This record gives sequence, C-alpha cells and structure tokens, in this order.
Amino acid sequence: MFTEELKAFRRLGFRHVLLQALNFASVIASGLMIWKGLGLITNSESPIVVVLSGSMEPAFYRGDLLFLTNPAAERYHNGDITVYKVPGADIPIVHRVLETHDGKSRGSSPIVQRLLTKGDNNEVNDIELYRGLDYLERKHIVGKVRGFLPYIGYVTIAMNDFPQLKYALLGGLGLLALVQRE
Amino acid sequence: MARKKTANGAAQDISTATTSTDSIPSPPSPDRPPGPLSLPPLPGPREVVKVNNYSTTELKNACDDAVKRYLSRPELFQQNHQHTDVRLALGWLSVFVAGGTGLYGYKVEFEQSKPVVWVGLILYMLLTFTQTLYSYFIEGDIVFVGKRKTFSKRIITERITLSSRTIPVSSSSSNSTPITPPQYSLSLSYVRSTSANKSLLAKGKTQARAPYSRFFDAEGGMDGDAFERWVGEVVEEGMGGLPASKES
Repeated sequence: MFTEELKAFRRLGFRHVLLQALNFASVIASGLMIWKGLGLITNSESPIVVVLSGSMEPAFYRGDLLFLTNPAAERYHNGDITVYKVPGADIPIVHRVLETHDGKSRGSSPIVQRLLTKGDNNEVNDIELYRGLDYLERKHIVGKVRGFLPYIGYVTIAMNDFPQLKYALLGGLGLLALVQRE
Repeated sequence: MARKKTANGAAQDISTATTSTDSIPSPPSPDRPPGPLSLPPLPGPREVVKVNNYSTTELKNACDDAVKRYLSRPELFQQNHQHTDVRLALGWLSVFVAGGTGLYGYKVEFEQSKPVVWVGLILYMLLTFTQTLYSYFIEGDIVFVGKRKTFSKRIITERITLSSRTIPVSSSSSNSTPITPPQYSLSLSYVRSTSANKSLLAKGKTQARAPYSRFFDAEGGMDGDAFERWVGEVVEEGMGGLPASKES
C-alpha cells in the first residue's frame, strides 16, 4: 500500500522528507497555537469544554460542547453557569452560581468574590465537591458559559473512552499530511 | 547566428507545444558548454512514476520532480536549495516555537504563563507570516535554481532558473472551438558569463508549454524519456543553441 510513497521518498531525497514532515508538524502547531490564542483572548484556561455528567439537565446534557469566557473585570452573578476546577481534582465541573459574596476591590486590583454553586439537576449544593473549601474563589473559575453546541462533545468523550480512536485519528492525519503534497 | 526575436506568448490558442524566446544571441561554440540534450541517458531501467491522472497537482509535482532530477545530474547543473532551505528553516522554527509555548503553558499555571504564551504566540504568527510572504513573493513559481561552472579557455559560470505552473483546462463559450487540456508551462531564465561575472556571454528567457497528455499515458504512468527530451530542448533553447522543434 505504501510502496509507491516509500519509493517516492527515496527518489526525492532527504529535504523532501523534511518538507512533508513539516506539513504534518505545522498542522499540529497551528492547531496548538489557535487553542492557546483562544485561551489568551477569552482569559480562560480551557475555553471549550465538554459536559461529562447530567448534573445540569435540562439545560445541558452529557456530550454538549460549551464555550467559555472569563472576563477578569466583571463580577459573576447568581444564575451564571460557570465551569470551575477544585484544586486537587483534575476534572472541571459545570454548575450554576447559587450565591455570591462580593469583596471590595479598589481600582485595578483583581475582583474578589466568593461563590457557591449547585447543579440544576442536583438535590444539594456543591459543598461536598469542594474538597474542604467552604466556597470558591475567582481563581478556581475556568470561565462562564456563553454558548453551547449540542452533541458535538461526544467525539471527545469517545476518544477519551477509547484511546485507540485518538491514536488512529492522529495516525491517519499524519499519514495524510506526509503523503499529500500541497 | 542571426536570431529573430519572437513575440512572447504569441501562441495562446494552440494546444500543441509552443515556445517563445527572448534572448541575446550567443556566439557559435566552442564557448558554449554542453547542454542537457548532448548527454547520454542514464544507464539502467528508469523508475516508473505513476500518478493520478485526474489531479493536476500530482501531474505538476511529477513533472517538477522530473525536472529537478534531470537537471541536477552531475554533468549538468548543481541545484541551489536556498528557497527550500528558507522554507524549512522558518517552518521548523515556528513548529518549535509553538511546541515550546505549548509545553510552557502545560507546565506553568495559566495566570502566570500568560506573558510568555503571548510572546510565543506573536513570534509564531510573525514566523508564519514571514514564511508565507517569502513563498508568495520571492519563491513564487520557481522549481529549480542551478549553477554550473565549466572550464574551456576560461571559467564559464552559468545560472539557470526554472519556474512552472499548470495552465488549467480552458473552455470557450462556443461549442465549436476545442477545449484545451491542462498544460504544463515551463519558464526558464538563463545567464552565462565568465568568472566573476566580468563579461556576459549569453542570456536567455524561454517559455514553453505542453499538454500533460503528451507525457502521461492513460494509466498515469509517466514517459520520462519524452519529458526529459522536451525539457532538454527548452533548456538548450534558453542556452541559445538549437531552436526547439514545434510539433505536438
């Protein structure tokens, strides 16, 4: 299957192999840079997240894609849907803000707020999930939900549950970039 | 050797191979170094190149590769890899900048990493932009840049640059005139001078085009001999030697 391509590589020399490898590497690099740029513009560590649980039904279902921003100069209000990460846990959680306690902030110093959240579909608020904390601070918040796309997140969920899919996809993409020429 | 200056691009609607030349006549040999047609073909079986006939990209790439292979034979020109090297350097540098920025953002916590990530992002965008500008303006259509030094009475330096593009299928509005198949257009500029460019011996600009169907059969196999002969004719014409034969 690859004999034609391998013969072509041997014929065309080392520079050609480097060029084709550059094709693949620059696709990855540009994707990475777009992601980082988006993170910087939205001021959020992870501006696009996937809903993993059903704790926000009927607003968000498992597999929805969420778009976040984290404006540093705005206060969060009751009813905002936030994504937060408790220190020590690696999975971000999407829940609604139940209570805010605002601290005084002067001029350009960062906004001080303490937040309590609760999932729409949960019976109780999130104190249990805070791992010892009594409230969330702004630094734990990844962002506020601005928009969503239903079902798209299932691709990410599938790739997490079946890592072979991730490698297959990456491998396929790499192969395509290596043998195709501009 | 008197030479008529033919108008450039005079034959647009002919689907057979056409050539147009603009050159300073060169004195009759012995000053003229050997052109590619005077070289014997390489011994041994030729490697068969097979491409997808329906993709003009693949056809053009196959022709470009054949040109590079043909003209960089040891007796002919030495290829100058500057354009490729610049593209490789800028490209790989931007990949490493992106990788480094990504790694830094992964290791360091978000708020702290922001300044460095900004720097990395701006650097990456600058490098990509520079590479695009270079490819578009400076490299353009060029596929081969070569140089050769020969010695006969004095050191003769030749410089040759070839660019190519595909002329796509053109259909005319009326049904009576035939549609031209996709063609490979090769442009060549050639300079011959004595050592240290003290005196110009010959200078030529040639352009030729031929339909791809002349060099590729129905299965997509490339007729390397026919292609090399055609390229050789164009190069010799640019060198100021034999006139190219005009036939389909």
